[in-house]
Amino acid sequence: MSDRAEKTALVIGGGIAGLEAAITIAGAGHQVILVEKSPQLGGTTRELYSSFPHWENPAELLQGKIDEAQKTGVQVKTGFEVISSQKQATGYQVVLEGPGQKREELAVDAVVVATGFELFDVSAYGEYGYGSYPGVVNTLEFEARLREWARGEGKEAPPQTVAFIKCVGSRDRSKGYPYCSKICCMITAKQAGLVKELWPDSKCYVFYMDYRAAGKGYEEFVRSVIEEKHVRYTRGRPAKILPEDGRLLIRTEDTLMGVPVEIRADMVVLAAAMQPGPGTREMSRIFDLNTDQYGFLEPLSGQAARVGERVFAAGGCIFPVENQGALQQGAAAGAGVVALFNQAR
Amino acid sequence: MSETMPKPVASFFPALRLDELDDALAREIKEECGVDVELCLECGKCSGGCSNGHIFDYTPRKIVQLIKLGDRERLLHMDALWTCVSCQLCWDRCPSAINVARVMDYLREQTYKENVPPTRKEVALFHELMLGSVERIGRVAETRLVLEFNIKTKQYTKDADIGPKMFFKGKLNPFTSGIKKIEEVRQIFRKNPLRKEV
Repeated sequence: MSDRAEKTALVIGGGIAGLEAAITIAGAGHQVILVEKSPQLGGTTRELYSSFPHWENPAELLQGKIDEAQKTGVQVKTGFEVISSQKQATGYQVVLEGPGQKREELAVDAVVVATGFELFDVSAYGEYGYGSYPGVVNTLEFEARLREWARGEGKEAPPQTVAFIKCVGSRDRSKGYPYCSKICCMITAKQAGLVKELWPDSKCYVFYMDYRAAGKGYEEFVRSVIEEKHVRYTRGRPAKILPEDGRLLIRTEDTLMGVPVEIRADMVVLAAAMQPGPGTREMSRIFDLNTDQYGFLEPLSGQAARVGERVFAAGGCIFPVENQGALQQGAAAGAGVVALFNQAR
Repeated sequence: MSETMPKPVASFFPALRLDELDDALAREIKEECGVDVELCLECGKCSGGCSNGHIFDYTPRKIVQLIKLGDRERLLHMDALWTCVSCQLCWDRCPSAINVARVMDYLREQTYKENVPPTRKEVALFHELMLGSVERIGRVAETRLVLEFNIKTKQYTKDADIGPKMFFKGKLNPFTSGIKKIEEVRQIFRKNPLRKEV
Protein backbone atom coordinates (compact mmCIF):
# COMPACT_ATOMS: atom_id res chain seq x y z
CA MET A 1 0.00 0.00 0.00
CA SER A 2 2.78 2.43 0.85
CA ASP A 3 4.17 1.82 -2.60
CA ARG A 4 0.96 2.90 -4.23
CA ALA A 5 0.72 6.17 -2.38
CA GLU A 6 3.99 7.25 -3.96
CA LYS A 7 2.45 7.49 -7.38
CA THR A 8 1.31 10.96 -8.38
CA ALA A 9 -1.07 11.95 -11.13
CA LEU A 10 -1.36 15.44 -12.59
CA VAL A 11 -4.82 16.48 -13.76
CA ILE A 12 -4.83 19.55 -15.98
CA GLY A 13 -8.15 21.39 -16.00
CA GLY A 14 -10.63 21.74 -13.15
CA GLY A 15 -13.88 21.37 -15.05
CA ILE A 16 -16.29 18.55 -14.48
CA ALA A 17 -14.15 16.01 -16.43
CA GLY A 18 -10.92 16.89 -14.64
CA LEU A 19 -12.62 16.84 -11.24
CA GLU A 20 -14.10 13.41 -11.88
CA ALA A 21 -10.74 12.04 -13.08
CA ALA A 22 -9.02 13.49 -9.99
CA ILE A 23 -11.65 12.04 -7.65
CA THR A 24 -11.37 8.60 -9.29
CA ILE A 25 -7.58 8.50 -8.97
CA ALA A 26 -7.47 9.96 -5.44
CA GLY A 27 -10.30 7.62 -4.42
CA ALA A 28 -8.06 4.69 -5.39
CA GLY A 29 -5.43 5.94 -2.96
CA HIS A 30 -3.05 7.83 -5.23
CA GLN A 31 -1.72 11.36 -5.01
CA VAL A 32 -3.46 13.81 -7.32
CA ILE A 33 -2.51 17.36 -8.18
CA LEU A 34 -5.26 19.24 -10.01
CA VAL A 35 -4.18 22.42 -11.77
CA GLU A 36 -6.69 24.95 -13.03
CA LYS A 37 -5.55 28.11 -14.77
CA SER A 38 -8.49 30.25 -13.69
CA PRO A 39 -8.98 31.28 -10.06
CA GLN A 40 -11.99 28.97 -9.66
CA LEU A 41 -12.75 25.33 -10.35
CA GLY A 42 -15.67 24.41 -12.57
CA GLY A 43 -14.72 25.18 -16.16
CA THR A 44 -17.65 25.65 -18.54
CA THR A 45 -20.02 23.93 -16.09
CA ARG A 46 -19.62 26.93 -13.77
CA GLU A 47 -21.09 29.15 -16.47
CA LEU A 48 -24.25 27.10 -16.84
CA TYR A 49 -27.55 28.05 -15.28
CA SER A 50 -29.44 24.82 -15.91
CA SER A 51 -28.87 21.42 -17.46
CA PHE A 52 -30.55 18.86 -19.69
CA PRO A 53 -32.35 16.50 -19.68
CA HIS A 54 -33.52 17.06 -16.08
CA TRP A 55 -33.39 20.86 -15.61
CA GLU A 56 -30.94 20.40 -12.74
CA ASN A 57 -28.73 23.11 -11.30
CA PRO A 58 -25.16 22.47 -12.53
CA ALA A 59 -23.81 24.42 -9.54
CA GLU A 60 -25.02 21.64 -7.25
CA LEU A 61 -23.33 18.95 -9.32
CA LEU A 62 -20.15 21.01 -9.34
CA GLN A 63 -20.15 21.73 -5.62
CA GLY A 64 -20.67 18.03 -4.94
CA LYS A 65 -17.61 17.21 -7.05
CA ILE A 66 -15.51 19.93 -5.45
CA ASP A 67 -16.42 18.62 -1.99
CA GLU A 68 -15.61 15.08 -3.07
CA ALA A 69 -12.24 16.17 -4.43
CA GLN A 70 -11.45 17.78 -1.11
CA LYS A 71 -12.59 14.69 0.80
CA THR A 72 -10.48 12.32 -1.28
CA GLY A 73 -7.40 14.49 -0.76
CA VAL A 74 -6.98 16.00 -4.23
CA GLN A 75 -4.45 18.80 -4.09
CA VAL A 76 -6.04 21.69 -5.95
CA LYS A 77 -3.90 24.41 -7.46
CA THR A 78 -6.05 27.13 -8.97
CA GLY A 79 -4.37 29.92 -10.90
CA PHE A 80 -1.70 27.50 -12.11
CA GLU A 81 -0.80 26.49 -15.64
CA VAL A 82 1.50 23.82 -17.02
CA ILE A 83 4.21 25.60 -19.01
CA SER A 84 6.58 22.78 -19.88
CA SER A 85 7.30 19.13 -19.36
CA GLN A 86 10.17 16.77 -19.78
CA LYS A 87 9.57 13.09 -20.39
CA GLN A 88 11.16 10.74 -17.88
CA ALA A 89 11.41 6.95 -17.85
CA THR A 90 8.13 6.53 -15.97
CA GLY A 91 6.48 9.91 -16.08
CA TYR A 92 7.06 13.58 -16.61
CA GLN A 93 8.99 16.35 -14.96
CA VAL A 94 6.51 19.22 -15.15
CA VAL A 95 6.89 22.95 -14.61
CA LEU A 96 3.87 24.88 -13.36
CA GLU A 97 3.46 28.61 -13.29
CA GLY A 98 1.16 30.19 -10.76
CA PRO A 99 0.11 33.67 -9.64
CA GLY A 100 2.94 36.22 -9.83
CA GLN A 101 4.98 34.08 -12.26
CA LYS A 102 5.74 31.74 -9.37
CA ARG A 103 7.19 28.52 -10.80
CA GLU A 104 7.03 25.06 -9.35
CA GLU A 105 8.59 21.88 -10.62
CA LEU A 106 7.24 18.45 -9.85
CA ALA A 107 7.58 14.84 -10.94
CA VAL A 108 4.38 13.06 -11.95
CA ASP A 109 3.75 9.47 -13.01
CA ALA A 110 0.73 10.11 -15.23
CA VAL A 111 -1.17 13.04 -16.68
CA VAL A 112 -4.86 13.64 -17.39
CA VAL A 113 -5.56 16.47 -19.81
CA ALA A 114 -9.03 17.93 -19.30
CA THR A 115 -8.67 21.40 -20.74
CA GLY A 116 -12.19 21.62 -22.19
CA PHE A 117 -13.45 23.44 -25.26
CA GLU A 118 -14.10 27.05 -26.08
CA LEU A 119 -16.77 28.73 -28.18
CA PHE A 120 -16.11 29.56 -31.79
CA ASP A 121 -16.00 33.31 -32.41
CA VAL A 122 -19.37 33.91 -34.04
CA SER A 123 -18.40 37.39 -35.25
CA ALA A 124 -17.06 35.46 -38.27
CA TYR A 125 -20.67 35.68 -39.48
CA GLY A 126 -21.11 39.25 -40.69
CA GLU A 127 -24.68 38.41 -41.69
CA TYR A 128 -25.64 37.79 -38.05
CA GLY A 129 -24.04 40.98 -36.72
CA TYR A 130 -22.61 39.58 -33.52
CA GLY A 131 -20.57 42.33 -31.93
CA SER A 132 -22.33 45.08 -33.85
CA TYR A 133 -26.06 44.56 -33.22
CA PRO A 134 -27.11 44.77 -29.59
CA GLY A 135 -29.21 41.77 -28.69
CA VAL A 136 -27.18 39.21 -30.64
CA VAL A 137 -25.41 36.98 -28.13
CA ASN A 138 -23.67 33.63 -28.07
CA THR A 139 -24.65 30.53 -26.13
CA LEU A 140 -22.72 31.18 -22.93
CA GLU A 141 -23.55 34.88 -22.83
CA PHE A 142 -27.21 33.94 -22.97
CA GLU A 143 -26.73 31.37 -20.23
CA ALA A 144 -25.39 34.19 -18.03
CA ARG A 145 -28.44 36.34 -18.91
CA LEU A 146 -30.76 33.51 -17.97
CA ARG A 147 -29.12 33.29 -14.57
CA GLU A 148 -29.46 37.06 -14.05
CA TRP A 149 -33.11 37.03 -15.07
CA ALA A 150 -33.93 34.06 -12.91
CA ARG A 151 -32.37 35.84 -9.94
CA GLY A 152 -34.19 39.05 -10.80
CA GLU A 153 -30.87 40.80 -11.47
CA GLY A 154 -31.38 41.55 -15.15
CA LYS A 155 -30.84 45.20 -15.89
CA GLU A 156 -32.64 45.20 -19.21
CA ALA A 157 -36.32 44.54 -19.78
CA PRO A 158 -36.99 40.87 -20.49
CA PRO A 159 -37.23 40.10 -24.22
CA GLN A 160 -40.67 39.43 -25.66
CA THR A 161 -39.35 37.46 -28.60
CA VAL A 162 -36.19 35.39 -28.58
CA ALA A 163 -34.83 33.57 -31.61
CA PHE A 164 -32.18 30.89 -31.55
CA ILE A 165 -30.00 30.11 -34.55
CA LYS A 166 -28.32 26.73 -34.46
CA CYS A 167 -25.17 25.57 -36.25
CA VAL A 168 -23.33 28.90 -36.09
CA GLY A 169 -19.85 27.71 -36.94
CA SER A 170 -20.85 24.06 -36.98
CA ARG A 171 -21.63 22.16 -40.15
CA ASP A 172 -20.24 25.05 -42.12
CA ARG A 173 -17.28 24.48 -44.42
CA SER A 174 -17.15 28.11 -45.34
CA LYS A 175 -17.03 30.10 -42.10
CA GLY A 176 -16.67 27.48 -39.40
CA TYR A 177 -16.10 23.77 -39.08
CA PRO A 178 -17.50 20.85 -41.04
CA TYR A 179 -18.31 18.95 -37.86
CA CYS A 180 -21.45 18.98 -35.73
CA SER A 181 -20.66 20.32 -32.25
CA LYS A 182 -23.01 17.70 -30.85
CA ILE A 183 -24.42 19.46 -27.78
CA CYS A 184 -25.72 22.79 -29.15
CA CYS A 185 -29.09 21.23 -30.09
CA MET A 186 -29.67 20.24 -26.49
CA ILE A 187 -28.35 23.50 -25.02
CA THR A 188 -30.56 25.48 -27.39
CA ALA A 189 -33.63 23.43 -26.47
CA LYS A 190 -32.84 23.96 -22.81
CA GLN A 191 -32.33 27.71 -23.17
CA ALA A 192 -35.47 28.15 -25.27
CA GLY A 193 -37.44 26.12 -22.73
CA LEU A 194 -36.10 28.30 -19.91
CA VAL A 195 -37.20 31.47 -21.70
CA LYS A 196 -40.75 30.11 -21.91
CA GLU A 197 -40.59 29.05 -18.30
CA LEU A 198 -39.48 32.51 -17.14
CA TRP A 199 -41.96 34.30 -19.40
CA PRO A 200 -44.70 32.01 -20.67
CA ASP A 201 -46.16 34.81 -22.80
CA SER A 202 -42.93 35.44 -24.67
CA LYS A 203 -42.38 34.03 -28.14
CA CYS A 204 -39.52 31.71 -28.71
CA TYR A 205 -38.26 30.43 -32.06
CA VAL A 206 -35.55 27.96 -32.89
CA PHE A 207 -34.14 27.83 -36.42
CA TYR A 208 -32.76 24.43 -37.16
CA MET A 209 -31.64 22.13 -39.94
CA ASP A 210 -32.44 19.15 -37.76
CA TYR A 211 -32.23 18.58 -34.04
CA ARG A 212 -29.80 16.02 -32.76
CA ALA A 213 -30.96 14.53 -29.54
CA ALA A 214 -28.99 11.31 -29.28
CA GLY A 215 -28.85 10.62 -25.59
CA LYS A 216 -30.87 9.08 -22.83
CA GLY A 217 -33.95 11.22 -22.33
CA TYR A 218 -32.78 13.76 -24.89
CA GLU A 219 -35.44 13.27 -27.56
CA GLU A 220 -38.14 13.44 -24.91
CA PHE A 221 -36.53 16.61 -23.58
CA VAL A 222 -36.59 18.37 -26.95
CA ARG A 223 -40.14 17.19 -27.63
CA SER A 224 -41.30 18.52 -24.25
CA VAL A 225 -39.78 21.91 -25.08
CA ILE A 226 -41.76 21.95 -28.35
CA GLU A 227 -44.99 20.34 -27.15
CA GLU A 228 -45.30 21.51 -23.56
CA LYS A 229 -43.34 24.75 -23.45
CA HIS A 230 -44.50 25.69 -26.96
CA VAL A 231 -41.18 26.75 -28.41
CA ARG A 232 -41.66 27.08 -32.15
CA TYR A 233 -39.10 25.13 -34.19
CA THR A 234 -38.79 26.40 -37.75
CA ARG A 235 -36.64 24.50 -40.18
CA GLY A 236 -34.17 26.62 -42.06
CA ARG A 237 -30.84 28.31 -41.56
CA PRO A 238 -31.34 32.07 -41.33
CA ALA A 239 -29.68 34.07 -44.05
CA LYS A 240 -29.48 37.45 -42.41
CA ILE A 241 -30.25 39.56 -39.38
CA LEU A 242 -31.11 43.20 -39.91
CA PRO A 243 -31.53 45.80 -37.18
CA GLU A 244 -34.98 47.37 -37.47
CA ASP A 245 -36.41 49.95 -35.09
CA GLY A 246 -34.36 48.72 -32.18
CA ARG A 247 -35.30 45.12 -32.87
CA LEU A 248 -33.78 42.38 -34.97
CA LEU A 249 -35.34 41.23 -38.22
CA ILE A 250 -34.40 37.69 -39.15
CA ARG A 251 -34.79 36.50 -42.72
CA THR A 252 -34.96 32.82 -43.43
CA GLU A 253 -36.81 30.21 -45.40
CA ASP A 254 -39.23 27.76 -43.89
CA THR A 255 -37.68 24.87 -45.77
CA LEU A 256 -40.59 22.57 -44.99
CA MET A 257 -43.00 24.81 -46.87
CA GLY A 258 -40.46 26.39 -49.17
CA VAL A 259 -41.61 29.88 -48.26
CA PRO A 260 -39.69 32.92 -47.06
CA VAL A 261 -40.16 33.77 -43.41
CA GLU A 262 -39.39 36.86 -41.36
CA ILE A 263 -39.26 37.25 -37.62
CA ARG A 264 -38.77 40.34 -35.51
CA ALA A 265 -37.01 39.45 -32.29
CA ASP A 266 -35.64 41.34 -29.32
CA MET A 267 -32.81 38.95 -28.89
CA VAL A 268 -31.02 36.41 -31.06
CA VAL A 269 -28.94 33.64 -29.54
CA LEU A 270 -26.30 32.15 -31.78
CA ALA A 271 -25.57 28.54 -30.87
CA ALA A 272 -21.82 28.79 -31.40
CA ALA A 273 -19.70 25.87 -32.50
CA MET A 274 -17.25 24.50 -29.96
CA GLN A 275 -13.56 24.27 -30.74
CA PRO A 276 -10.41 23.28 -28.88
CA GLY A 277 -9.19 26.12 -26.70
CA PRO A 278 -5.63 27.47 -26.48
CA GLY A 279 -5.04 25.31 -23.38
CA THR A 280 -5.71 22.15 -25.35
CA ARG A 281 -3.36 23.22 -28.13
CA GLU A 282 -0.68 24.04 -25.54
CA MET A 283 -1.01 20.69 -23.78
CA SER A 284 -0.88 18.74 -27.03
CA ARG A 285 2.36 20.56 -27.80
CA ILE A 286 3.87 20.22 -24.30
CA PHE A 287 3.09 16.51 -23.99
CA ASP A 288 3.37 15.70 -27.70
CA LEU A 289 -0.14 14.30 -27.99
CA ASN A 290 -2.11 12.91 -30.85
CA THR A 291 -4.61 15.47 -32.21
CA ASP A 292 -7.15 15.52 -35.00
CA GLN A 293 -7.20 18.05 -37.83
CA TYR A 294 -9.03 20.58 -35.64
CA GLY A 295 -6.68 20.35 -32.69
CA PHE A 296 -8.92 18.21 -30.47
CA LEU A 297 -7.04 15.45 -28.66
CA GLU A 298 -7.45 12.09 -30.33
CA PRO A 299 -7.50 8.98 -28.13
CA LEU A 300 -5.24 6.20 -29.41
CA SER A 301 -6.98 3.64 -31.55
CA GLY A 302 -9.24 1.43 -29.46
CA GLN A 303 -8.62 3.44 -26.29
CA ALA A 304 -11.31 5.24 -24.32
CA ALA A 305 -9.19 8.01 -22.88
CA ARG A 306 -5.54 7.34 -23.57
CA VAL A 307 -3.83 9.94 -25.77
CA GLY A 308 -0.20 9.06 -25.00
CA GLU A 309 1.89 6.51 -23.14
CA ARG A 310 1.18 7.98 -19.71
CA VAL A 311 -1.28 10.66 -20.74
CA PHE A 312 -5.06 10.43 -20.70
CA ALA A 313 -7.70 12.89 -21.80
CA ALA A 314 -11.27 13.61 -20.80
CA GLY A 315 -14.04 16.04 -21.64
CA GLY A 316 -14.27 18.86 -24.15
CA CYS A 317 -10.58 18.75 -25.15
CA ILE A 318 -11.45 15.54 -27.05
CA PHE A 319 -14.68 16.86 -28.52
CA PRO A 320 -17.62 18.95 -27.30
CA VAL A 321 -19.38 17.04 -24.56
CA GLU A 322 -22.13 17.64 -22.01
CA ASN A 323 -21.78 17.27 -18.22
CA GLN A 324 -22.86 13.64 -18.18
CA GLY A 325 -20.41 12.70 -20.93
CA ALA A 326 -17.62 14.69 -19.28
CA LEU A 327 -18.23 12.79 -16.06
CA GLN A 328 -18.03 9.45 -17.85
CA GLN A 329 -14.87 10.42 -19.70
CA GLY A 330 -13.32 11.77 -16.50
CA ALA A 331 -14.04 8.49 -14.77
CA ALA A 332 -12.60 6.56 -17.74
CA ALA A 333 -9.40 8.64 -17.74
CA GLY A 334 -9.12 8.26 -13.97
CA ALA A 335 -9.59 4.51 -14.23
CA GLY A 336 -6.90 4.39 -16.94
CA VAL A 337 -4.45 6.12 -14.62
CA VAL A 338 -5.33 3.81 -11.72
CA ALA A 339 -4.81 0.73 -13.92
CA LEU A 340 -1.45 2.10 -15.07
CA PHE A 341 -0.36 2.73 -11.48
CA ASN A 342 -1.44 -0.73 -10.36
CA GLN A 343 0.43 -2.40 -13.25
CA ALA A 344 3.61 -0.56 -12.38
CA ARG A 345 3.49 -1.70 -8.78
CA MET B 1 -65.77 13.17 -66.80
CA SER B 2 -66.19 16.92 -66.82
CA GLU B 3 -63.34 17.39 -64.48
CA THR B 4 -62.36 21.00 -64.11
CA MET B 5 -58.70 21.33 -63.43
CA PRO B 6 -58.15 23.06 -60.12
CA LYS B 7 -56.80 26.56 -60.26
CA PRO B 8 -53.33 26.65 -58.82
CA VAL B 9 -53.36 28.04 -55.33
CA ALA B 10 -51.47 31.33 -55.33
CA SER B 11 -47.95 30.33 -56.14
CA PHE B 12 -46.60 33.59 -54.80
CA PHE B 13 -45.99 33.44 -51.09
CA PRO B 14 -45.00 36.74 -49.51
CA ALA B 15 -42.61 36.44 -46.56
CA LEU B 16 -44.59 35.13 -43.65
CA ARG B 17 -44.18 37.18 -40.53
CA LEU B 18 -43.92 34.32 -38.16
CA ASP B 19 -43.84 36.46 -35.02
CA GLU B 20 -47.09 38.14 -36.01
CA LEU B 21 -49.01 34.91 -36.48
CA ASP B 22 -51.04 33.59 -33.62
CA ASP B 23 -51.81 30.00 -32.83
CA ALA B 24 -55.61 30.44 -33.02
CA LEU B 25 -56.02 27.89 -35.80
CA ALA B 26 -53.80 25.33 -34.06
CA ARG B 27 -55.89 25.78 -30.92
CA GLU B 28 -59.13 25.47 -32.90
CA ILE B 29 -57.92 22.22 -34.46
CA LYS B 30 -56.90 20.94 -31.05
CA GLU B 31 -60.29 21.75 -29.55
CA GLU B 32 -62.48 20.67 -32.45
CA CYS B 33 -60.57 17.65 -33.72
CA GLY B 34 -58.45 16.65 -30.74
CA VAL B 35 -55.40 16.93 -32.97
CA ASP B 36 -52.22 18.55 -31.60
CA VAL B 37 -50.07 19.72 -34.51
CA GLU B 38 -47.18 20.47 -32.17
CA LEU B 39 -46.64 16.72 -31.99
CA CYS B 40 -45.61 16.69 -35.66
CA LEU B 41 -42.08 15.38 -36.21
CA GLU B 42 -42.08 16.73 -39.77
CA CYS B 43 -40.96 13.34 -41.06
CA GLY B 44 -43.32 13.15 -44.04
CA LYS B 45 -44.38 9.56 -43.46
CA CYS B 46 -48.00 10.69 -43.86
CA SER B 47 -47.25 12.21 -47.24
CA GLY B 48 -45.04 9.47 -48.64
CA GLY B 49 -47.84 6.96 -48.29
CA CYS B 50 -50.84 9.18 -48.97
CA SER B 51 -53.24 7.43 -51.40
CA ASN B 52 -53.73 10.55 -53.46
CA GLY B 53 -50.61 12.48 -52.45
CA HIS B 54 -49.44 12.55 -56.05
CA ILE B 55 -52.30 14.86 -56.98
CA PHE B 56 -52.43 16.90 -53.75
CA ASP B 57 -51.49 20.56 -53.98
CA TYR B 58 -50.51 20.39 -50.30
CA THR B 59 -49.43 17.03 -48.91
CA PRO B 60 -50.56 16.00 -45.41
CA ARG B 61 -47.25 17.13 -43.89
CA LYS B 62 -47.66 20.54 -45.47
CA ILE B 63 -51.25 20.70 -44.29
CA VAL B 64 -50.11 20.19 -40.69
CA GLN B 65 -47.46 22.83 -41.31
CA LEU B 66 -50.08 25.26 -42.67
CA ILE B 67 -52.09 24.78 -39.51
CA LYS B 68 -49.01 25.73 -37.51
CA LEU B 69 -48.62 28.77 -39.74
CA GLY B 70 -52.27 29.63 -39.12
CA ASP B 71 -53.00 29.87 -42.86
CA ARG B 72 -56.74 29.18 -42.69
CA GLU B 73 -57.39 30.86 -46.01
CA ARG B 74 -55.02 28.62 -47.92
CA LEU B 75 -56.30 25.51 -46.15
CA LEU B 76 -59.95 26.19 -46.97
CA HIS B 77 -59.16 26.87 -50.63
CA MET B 78 -56.75 24.02 -51.23
CA ASP B 79 -57.56 21.35 -53.76
CA ALA B 80 -56.35 18.57 -51.47
CA LEU B 81 -59.59 18.91 -49.47
CA TRP B 82 -61.40 17.48 -52.46
CA THR B 83 -58.86 14.91 -53.60
CA CYS B 84 -58.45 13.40 -50.13
CA VAL B 85 -60.38 10.13 -50.01
CA SER B 86 -60.29 9.87 -46.19
CA CYS B 87 -58.46 6.55 -46.32
CA GLN B 88 -56.72 7.53 -43.05
CA LEU B 89 -53.37 6.05 -44.04
CA CYS B 90 -51.76 9.30 -42.84
CA TRP B 91 -53.23 8.78 -39.40
CA ASP B 92 -52.44 5.09 -39.34
CA ARG B 93 -48.78 5.62 -40.18
CA CYS B 94 -48.07 8.83 -38.25
CA PRO B 95 -45.49 8.18 -35.48
CA SER B 96 -47.24 10.83 -33.41
CA ALA B 97 -50.72 9.51 -34.26
CA ILE B 98 -51.79 12.84 -35.74
CA ASN B 99 -55.19 12.34 -37.32
CA VAL B 100 -54.85 14.38 -40.49
CA ALA B 101 -57.97 12.73 -41.98
CA ARG B 102 -60.05 14.14 -39.13
CA VAL B 103 -58.60 17.57 -39.81
CA MET B 104 -59.50 17.24 -43.50
CA ASP B 105 -63.08 16.41 -42.53
CA TYR B 106 -63.19 19.40 -40.23
CA LEU B 107 -61.78 21.72 -42.87
CA ARG B 108 -64.35 20.47 -45.42
CA GLU B 109 -67.08 21.20 -42.89
CA GLN B 110 -65.67 24.69 -42.54
CA THR B 111 -65.84 25.28 -46.30
CA TYR B 112 -69.55 24.50 -46.09
CA LYS B 113 -70.10 26.80 -43.15
CA GLU B 114 -68.14 29.64 -44.71
CA ASN B 115 -69.46 29.10 -48.25
CA VAL B 116 -66.04 28.50 -49.75
CA PRO B 117 -66.65 26.93 -53.16
CA PRO B 118 -65.05 23.51 -53.54
CA THR B 119 -62.27 23.26 -56.11
CA ARG B 120 -63.86 20.02 -57.37
CA LYS B 121 -67.62 20.41 -57.53
CA GLU B 122 -68.27 16.79 -58.46
CA VAL B 123 -66.52 15.59 -55.29
CA ALA B 124 -68.60 17.88 -53.15
CA LEU B 125 -71.67 16.68 -55.03
CA PHE B 126 -70.77 13.08 -54.34
CA HIS B 127 -70.41 13.86 -50.62
CA GLU B 128 -73.82 15.50 -50.62
CA LEU B 129 -75.57 12.72 -52.52
CA MET B 130 -74.11 10.17 -50.18
CA LEU B 131 -75.15 12.07 -47.09
CA GLY B 132 -78.53 12.71 -48.72
CA SER B 133 -79.02 8.96 -48.99
CA VAL B 134 -78.14 8.51 -45.33
CA GLU B 135 -80.59 11.25 -44.42
CA ARG B 136 -83.33 9.66 -46.51
CA ILE B 137 -83.06 5.98 -45.57
CA GLY B 138 -80.32 5.77 -42.93
CA ARG B 139 -77.76 4.09 -45.18
CA VAL B 140 -76.11 4.49 -48.59
CA ALA B 141 -78.19 3.18 -51.50
CA GLU B 142 -75.28 2.51 -53.83
CA THR B 143 -77.13 1.97 -57.10
CA ARG B 144 -79.23 5.08 -56.72
CA LEU B 145 -76.18 7.05 -55.60
CA VAL B 146 -74.25 6.05 -58.72
CA LEU B 147 -77.16 6.83 -61.02
CA GLU B 148 -77.86 10.16 -59.39
CA PHE B 149 -74.22 11.11 -59.54
CA ASN B 150 -73.90 10.15 -63.20
CA ILE B 151 -77.04 12.03 -64.17
CA LYS B 152 -76.16 15.16 -62.26
CA THR B 153 -72.67 15.20 -63.72
CA LYS B 154 -74.02 14.34 -67.20
CA GLN B 155 -71.86 11.23 -67.50
CA TYR B 156 -74.71 8.96 -68.45
CA THR B 157 -72.64 5.96 -69.47
CA LYS B 158 -69.95 6.14 -66.81
CA ASP B 159 -69.18 2.68 -65.41
CA ALA B 160 -72.19 1.32 -67.36
CA ASP B 161 -70.24 -1.78 -68.30
CA ILE B 162 -69.36 -2.91 -64.80
CA GLY B 163 -72.83 -2.25 -63.31
CA PRO B 164 -74.47 -5.46 -64.66
CA LYS B 165 -71.41 -7.55 -63.77
CA MET B 166 -71.54 -6.34 -60.20
CA PHE B 167 -75.28 -6.93 -60.11
CA PHE B 168 -75.01 -10.56 -61.21
CA LYS B 169 -72.26 -11.20 -58.70
CA GLY B 170 -74.52 -9.82 -55.97
CA LYS B 171 -72.31 -6.80 -55.35
CA LEU B 172 -74.84 -4.20 -56.33
CA ASN B 173 -78.30 -4.14 -54.81
CA PRO B 174 -80.75 -1.99 -56.79
CA PHE B 175 -83.21 -1.89 -53.91
CA THR B 176 -81.71 -0.76 -50.65
CA SER B 177 -84.13 -0.88 -47.77
CA GLY B 178 -84.17 1.83 -45.15
CA ILE B 179 -83.36 1.39 -41.49
CA LYS B 180 -86.06 1.14 -38.83
CA LYS B 181 -85.23 4.14 -36.66
CA ILE B 182 -84.77 6.58 -39.55
CA GLU B 183 -86.31 9.39 -37.53
CA GLU B 184 -83.30 9.41 -35.19
CA VAL B 185 -80.90 9.76 -38.12
CA ARG B 186 -82.98 12.57 -39.60
CA GLN B 187 -82.79 14.40 -36.31
CA ILE B 188 -79.02 14.42 -36.59
CA PHE B 189 -79.33 16.00 -40.00
CA ARG B 190 -81.82 18.58 -38.77
CA LYS B 191 -79.36 19.65 -36.12
CA ASN B 192 -76.51 19.86 -38.64
CA PRO B 193 -78.02 20.93 -41.95
CA LEU B 194 -75.96 20.60 -45.11
CA ARG B 195 -75.49 23.56 -47.33
CA LYS B 196 -77.95 22.91 -50.12
CA GLU B 197 -76.66 24.78 -53.16
CA VAL B 198 -73.68 23.50 -55.17
